[in-house]
Amino acid sequence: MLTRCGDDAFSVAAGSPQEAQALAAQLRRSGDWLDVVPGIGSVLLRFDATRYNADEVGRTIASVLEEGTAALRVSDTLVEIPVVYGGDHGPDLDELARATGLSGDEIVALHTGSEYRVDMIGFTPGFAFVGGLDERLRVPRRTEPRQRVEAGSIGIADARTGIYAMASPGGWTLIGRTPRKLFDPAAANPFVLEPGMRVRFVAIGPGEFDA
Amino acid sequence: MTMTVVKPGLQSTLQSRPRTGLRHQGVPAGGAADPLSLALANRLVGNAWDATALEVTLAGPVLRFERDCAYAFAGAAVPVARNGIAVEAHETLFARAGDELVIGPATAGARLYLAVAGGFDADDVLGSSSTNLQAAFGGFGGRALQAGDALQYAAGAAEAVTTPAEFRPPMAASRALRVCESAETPLLDGAGREALFGANWVVDRRADRMGLRLDGPPLSVASEGRMPSAGVLPGTIQCPGDAPYLLGVDAGTVGGYPRVAQVTRADRHLTGQLRPGDRVRLLHREPEEAVAELRAKVDYWSAWLPDAAEIF
Repeated sequence: MLTRCGDDAFSVAAGSPQEAQALAAQLRRSGDWLDVVPGIGSVLLRFDATRYNADEVGRTIASVLEEGTAALRVSDTLVEIPVVYGGDHGPDLDELARATGLSGDEIVALHTGSEYRVDMIGFTPGFAFVGGLDERLRVPRRTEPRQRVEAGSIGIADARTGIYAMASPGGWTLIGRTPRKLFDPAAANPFVLEPGMRVRFVAIGPGEFDA
Repeated sequence: MTMTVVKPGLQSTLQSRPRTGLRHQGVPAGGAADPLSLALANRLVGNAWDATALEVTLAGPVLRFERDCAYAFAGAAVPVARNGIAVEAHETLFARAGDELVIGPATAGARLYLAVAGGFDADDVLGSSSTNLQAAFGGFGGRALQAGDALQYAAGAAEAVTTPAEFRPPMAASRALRVCESAETPLLDGAGREALFGANWVVDRRADRMGLRLDGPPLSVASEGRMPSAGVLPGTIQCPGDAPYLLGVDAGTVGGYPRVAQVTRADRHLTGQLRPGDRVRLLHREPEEAVAELRAKVDYWSAWLPDAAEIF
C-alpha cells in the first residue's frame, strides 16, 4: 500500500521489519531518492519534488512492488555485544524482574541465551532495534521517558532490545550497558551494526566495563 | 583569520547544509534551521549558499574580530551593534581588527545567521560541517560555542552587496505554514482534523532544533497516539498524546507517533524561525498544489539565489 506523506514523500507498507529492509534496498536501486527510511512496518521515501513528478515516482514504486522483493540477505556477521546487566548500568532490571516474575539471573540467562537480528537502525545515529526478544521478557515502553540515557545502554520495549549507540532521551526499560562503542563519527565506517546482522549479548562483570 | 567568542549567547552553533541520505542509519538532517536565511547571509559575502556560518538563537553572542574581514547577517530581526553603533542585516559589512559585535536579543523570529567571507572552518562529518548537538559531532567540536572559543576562517574577499527589498523575508510573531496530509492524518476524528487545519496554534516554550510543541485545542487520535516506529522528516507534525509536535531539522529519524501532517517543502525553512509564543496557522494544501507552490517559490528565489532548488 502506497500513501502520500506531504508533497515530497511516500510511505510504502511492509509486512515486517525484514520486508521493510528488503523493500528499502530494492527501492534504493530503482530510483533517485533523497532519503529511504525503513521503519518497523513501512518504508518512507523522500523524492526531489523540484525534479520529479509524484505520478512518475508512484509508478516507480508500484513497479518495484509488482516485482516483489527478494528476501533480506541474512548477514553472516555475528556481532557479540558485551553487557553489564543490572546495577547502575541497568537501573530497570529489578523493575523488569517484578513485572515479569523472573529473577535477575533468569532475565540475564534468557537475554543472553538467544541469537537476535538487527531489525532497523534509526531514531539517533546508530540506535539499533534488535528483534527476537523472548516473550517472557516483553514489557511496553515506559510511560515517562528519561531525559538522558547513557551511550551503550541496553533497553527493552515490546518485542525488541534497543541499543543506545549514543546518549539521548529515551523510554526503554534499561537492563544493562555495553562498553562497546557502536557509533563513532570519526571512524571510516561509523556504524558497527546494520539491519540483518546477527547479534548475541554476552554478560560481563561490572569490572570489565572500563577494562 | 580568527573571531573570538567573548560571550556565547543562548545557543550559537556553526551550521551549513543538511546531511541527506543517512536517515536509515539514524542520522538526522541537521543543518541551518532556516537554510534560506543562511543562503542570504552567504550571498552577501560571495560564499556558496551552504558555506559554514554562525547560527545565533534568540539571545545573541558578543564576538570580536581579530583581523579585517567582510561579513553579513540575515534571518531573525535582531539588533546588532559594532563598537556600539548599529549595523544592518542584508548588506555586506566590513570589520576592522579589534571590532566587537554585540548581537541580540531577537525581537521577531528565532535565528540569525552571521556569514564571513570564506566561511568558518568546521569539522566535516558524514557529508556536512553542520553541528549535531545531540550526537556531538560536526561544526565546532560538536558543541555550541563557549566564551573564549576562537573561530577560524579563510581570508575571503567580498564586494559590497545589498539584498534587494523583495528578497528580505519578513519576520513576525504570527506565521502561516502550508501543510499537506500525511500517512496517519485519517486517524484524526472530524473535530481533530478541523482543529489541526483551522485553529490558531501557539508555539510552546520548549522549542529547539529537535522540534516544538503547538499548544491549542486537544486533538483526538484513533490509535491512542502509538504506532510501530516509522520514518519521519523535518516538518513532520506528529501527534503524541493530544497535542501536535512539529519536528525540526535535528529530530530523530523514526518515530512511534501518528504523522498527522507534513509542512510542505516550500515552507519548511520557516519552521526554523518559530519561537515560543509565536502564533501559527496550518494551511491545508493538496500535494500537487504544494508542488506547484514549491516550484514557483524556487523560480522566484532563483533570481537572487542561483541554487534556490537546493536551498528549499
